[in-house]
Amino acid sequence: MSKEYLVALFPRRRRVMINGEFMGTTNRKLELESGIYEVTLGFPLNFFPEKFNIDLRNTSSLMPLIVEFTEVK
Amino acid sequence: MMSRHSIRIAILTLAFILLPGCAHYIVNDRSQNFDAKSGYRFDTLDRSELNSDSLFVCLMFSGGGTRAAALSYGIMEYLSDTVIRVDGQEKRLLDEVDCISSVSGGSFTAAYYGLFRERLFEDFRGRFLERDVQGALAGRLFNPVNWARLASPYFSRIDMAAELYDRDIFDSARFEQLQRNGRPFVILNATNLGVDRRFDFTQEYFDALGSRLDSYQVSRAVAASSAFPYLLTPISLKNYPLAEGYNVPWWYKSAIKPASWTTERYNAAKNLSVYLDKENRYIHLMDGGLSDNIGARSVLNAFGRGFIRTRINQGAIRQLVLIVVNARTQSEDQLSRNEKSPGFFTVAEKAATVAMDNYSYDSVTKLREALYTRCRPKRTTRLALRCFPNSVLRPPSLLRLQPISIRM
Repeated sequence: MSKEYLVALFPRRRRVMINGEFMGTTNRKLELESGIYEVTLGFPLNFFPEKFNIDLRNTSSLMPLIVEFTEVK
Repeated sequence: MMSRHSIRIAILTLAFILLPGCAHYIVNDRSQNFDAKSGYRFDTLDRSELNSDSLFVCLMFSGGGTRAAALSYGIMEYLSDTVIRVDGQEKRLLDEVDCISSVSGGSFTAAYYGLFRERLFEDFRGRFLERDVQGALAGRLFNPVNWARLASPYFSRIDMAAELYDRDIFDSARFEQLQRNGRPFVILNATNLGVDRRFDFTQEYFDALGSRLDSYQVSRAVAASSAFPYLLTPISLKNYPLAEGYNVPWWYKSAIKPASWTTERYNAAKNLSVYLDKENRYIHLMDGGLSDNIGARSVLNAFGRGFIRTRINQGAIRQLVLIVVNARTQSEDQLSRNEKSPGFFTVAEKAATVAMDNYSYDSVTKLREALYTRCRPKRTTRLALRCFPNSVLRPPSLLRLQPISIRM
């Protein structure tokens, strides 16, 4: 059972939502099955972009897919 | 004028003709409103004070009739006798069990522990293991009173077996009692004969059926899980329209797309889609061993995209222990030492078991892979594992799991 790796970067610790499901926190490596996902963050909604649509594949523990959210002041 | 005797005979004959029409299997209840936070699902179960999330233990009980039930019972005794220390607290390893996935004979032990806990060690042997359940079933089958009921197309041997289990073993318990008891989450596995796929008695499956599991008898789920082909008949469920407000699981929408066809979750999504197709109005379930004889697939699903996966990613699970209790017997290969080709019965037995055994082997290999991609054995301690942290931004500190000594 191969796993893929994803990190959602954000200046603060925030919930990472995968397809609307709480799946972990920002700046930590998440393990998921390969496939298409919608990645967004939990409240408050002070981040950009609103979401990432990713096709998670060909990653490794040392080279995860990284998506970066920026904080909107 | 008819005599009283003739009237009695006429009434009895009429009753005998009409009774079959009355006998019907117990139908699962329809669900009106969907609520993802209720029903028999892992997330709704409470933990006892002695159960931590950091050490997460899942057991898998295989099929194999009473032998499997007895073996899994023995393992439960060992787990009960095994004292461990987690976060400075001493407890039994059994207290840390979070889920039990079971098939066929193993489902009796799993369901009994889920419902009655410590009573398993007090009366399960007398009520099930040492009892001639097969004889009791045969006794019911040969009772003329039941012949009329069995003549109904909607009532069969499995319904009679479920009645026996319900009365004599499971005290008419329903899934709401399993839910009230909290962890471990007992997953009773059966096989959907319509699509040859695994079916488990959890609210997630019943959500797709537009049905409520909490009011369903545990005995019927165990009967489905252990409905050995030919001897017993399938358990049937009704597939209702979806409850209002139903949402598919978080992984489903993208997994069902053709682009995902190479992934395992595509297969899981296809499995769920069977019940979302309301043309499939009835589900007929038989022995879970037909689709997974060791109960590993539901744990693999939970590890891939279910309650284990979310807890790993959320950082709640620090140590994961998976224990497969496989009651398979394997005699020494004598066939390869004999020039004479195997006889009819040997070939028939092989035809029934070879595919199943290979699938079980594949399931266990997947479980091992799942663990070993995360951990590497530490040579100095027999069962201790050293895992890599799942943080990329923190300094790479190693998490060391406490050694667990299991006498087996």
